[in-house]
Amino acid sequence: MNRSFAFDCIGYGLFAVLILLVVPWALDFDGFELNTFARYLALGMVAMALALSWGCAGILNLGQAATFGIGAYVMAMHLKLRASENMPGGMPDFMGWTNVESLPWFWEPFHSLSITIAAGFLIPALVAAVMGTFMFRGRITGVFVAIITLAFLVAIQLVFIEEQRYTGGQNGLTGLAPLQLFGWTADNYSLDFYYFVAGCLIVALMLGIGLVRSKVGLVLRAIKEDPDRVRFFGYDVARYETLAFCASAAIAGWAGMLYVLVLEFASPTYMGVSFSLAIVIWCAVGGRESLVAAAMGGIIVNMLEGRLSDVFVDGWTLFLGAAFILVVLLMPRGLFGLFQMALARTQVLCRGMRGDSGVLGKSTTAIVTHTHDDGRR
Amino acid sequence: MASILLMVALGLAIIYGAMGVINLAHGEFVMLGAYSAWLLQTYFGFSILVSLPLVFLMVALAGLAVERGVVRWLYHRPLDTILATWGIGIVLQQLVRMGVGSDSRYVGRPTILDGNVAIGGVVMSNYRIFLIFFSIAVLAGTWYLLTRTEFGTKLRAVIQNKEISECYGIRAEHVYALTFAYGAGLAGIAGALVTPLISVTPSMGTYLVVDAFLVVIVGGVGSLLGTAVASGLVGEATAFFSFLFNDTLGRVAVLLSIILLIRFRPQGLFPDKVRR
Repeated sequence: MNRSFAFDCIGYGLFAVLILLVVPWALDFDGFELNTFARYLALGMVAMALALSWGCAGILNLGQAATFGIGAYVMAMHLKLRASENMPGGMPDFMGWTNVESLPWFWEPFHSLSITIAAGFLIPALVAAVMGTFMFRGRITGVFVAIITLAFLVAIQLVFIEEQRYTGGQNGLTGLAPLQLFGWTADNYSLDFYYFVAGCLIVALMLGIGLVRSKVGLVLRAIKEDPDRVRFFGYDVARYETLAFCASAAIAGWAGMLYVLVLEFASPTYMGVSFSLAIVIWCAVGGRESLVAAAMGGIIVNMLEGRLSDVFVDGWTLFLGAAFILVVLLMPRGLFGLFQMALARTQVLCRGMRGDSGVLGKSTTAIVTHTHDDGRR
Repeated sequence: MASILLMVALGLAIIYGAMGVINLAHGEFVMLGAYSAWLLQTYFGFSILVSLPLVFLMVALAGLAVERGVVRWLYHRPLDTILATWGIGIVLQQLVRMGVGSDSRYVGRPTILDGNVAIGGVVMSNYRIFLIFFSIAVLAGTWYLLTRTEFGTKLRAVIQNKEISECYGIRAEHVYALTFAYGAGLAGIAGALVTPLISVTPSMGTYLVVDAFLVVIVGGVGSLLGTAVASGLVGEATAFFSFLFNDTLGRVAVLLSIILLIRFRPQGLFPDKVRR
């Protein structure tokens, strides 16, 4: 346990160094590139949120995009109000086009930034709490959870598209003002902003690992293995599952808020079925058992997507789909599983070769591990 | 539309009921069926009705390839099939997009089924009536296949207990592969038949699969009757709620009722009585 904790800490430290120091340097502190990468970080954060419920508690939530989208809209509503301060009645422009006479009551609170930020966490968490209580009290598990969350996602997206008067419909919310936080104006092409997003991701990861490493996390892992046995021990399984579901939703909402800041618009595609399944894909590619691996999965897949769509304008989804099938078939535990296997192999071989000349031993082990992996494929 | 949904859901129900595989690529099989019909009509001048058996074979072959290539490795990991089949869906969509282009295509309806009939004041096109009867025929055919043929007996044996069936000399692998191909073929037929009603695009299957899956769950896994009733029910409920509110809210209401239903009756309306 302690040893794996140390292992985790090293992983998290490396990840923090990577996104805080290496990436800005590798991108040459270029504003546009940093903005693109900040987008990947926000998406990595959703993947990590999903890992919290899927990898840790075994709840496959196909509707993760719903909570992400709610967070995104909450932030976008605040920024839209900021942008429309000079409009007649402080009303967003699209409401004028659709003949809404006064600002609807549920838009009013979003004049205040603190309420907005609180709502960005709390509304997704609340939605998840309702959904979670509803599902887990009825001891719904596995595939049925996946289907219910998927149906819920489709329903939410339909409502957001339909209520064009209040949500901008298919167009979403565009023309947003920049965020002003404690006198600091977020310029989404600046280095400050990149560090702001990266900082949020690291804090979220730390909170996540805090949850996973706590007793709650232990109970959640036990539930994943065998819910009935945990129930016999007297734990309230539904409550723990709902808690994980809520935590995951709150972080997804947070990621949604950041995503709006990066892209400067909110659109109903954030709640689309394909986006939601893409989140599951990132999580699976990275490895759902580790939060940081899931976040890496989100970042890597999106980076590849960005690069491949530059090179092969049409064919990149083909690569994405094929890569994904291969990941599911060959590495069910994602890149993280592959990495762990390689590490375990190396350790075993190191032990076997102890006494041989150190440097040579090490390099051959590396080669042997690689060939072993190839053999698996 | 309910009859199209029935055929899509039927294929899905067989695949899910028999193997526990959640086939998110099913919508893409529908799409492949639609494109095959378009291909046969544009280049060979076949009417949809003539090309149905060919479409069935083509899509069934595609299904067979998918099963042999990917799905058969995942029978012991049902949740992973969701992910893998979604990947297959992406690949198939992109292949079609690159091969045929992403413009929407149109297929003419068969000329013998032109015209309308008025039944008790309600005017329906002949084609839609044909669809309803055809889907009922497909349902009956599937029921016959499952209960009155040797293949059906084998399939039901494998569903109940794979190991013991294998001990009796049934090649479970073959049964699974054929079942998957049959389900895919049904989806292909549904796709071919839907072409005169909606335009054919590479992404046409995506929304259909969510609906079809809900139908399968509502009807009860492994129950043909349940699937049939549920597809009618979902179709009717959508129409009813759409009449009460509007199209979108109608769909939302249906989705919410389905969520409620799954919560309180996860086994579906007509659960399979077979002991497992």
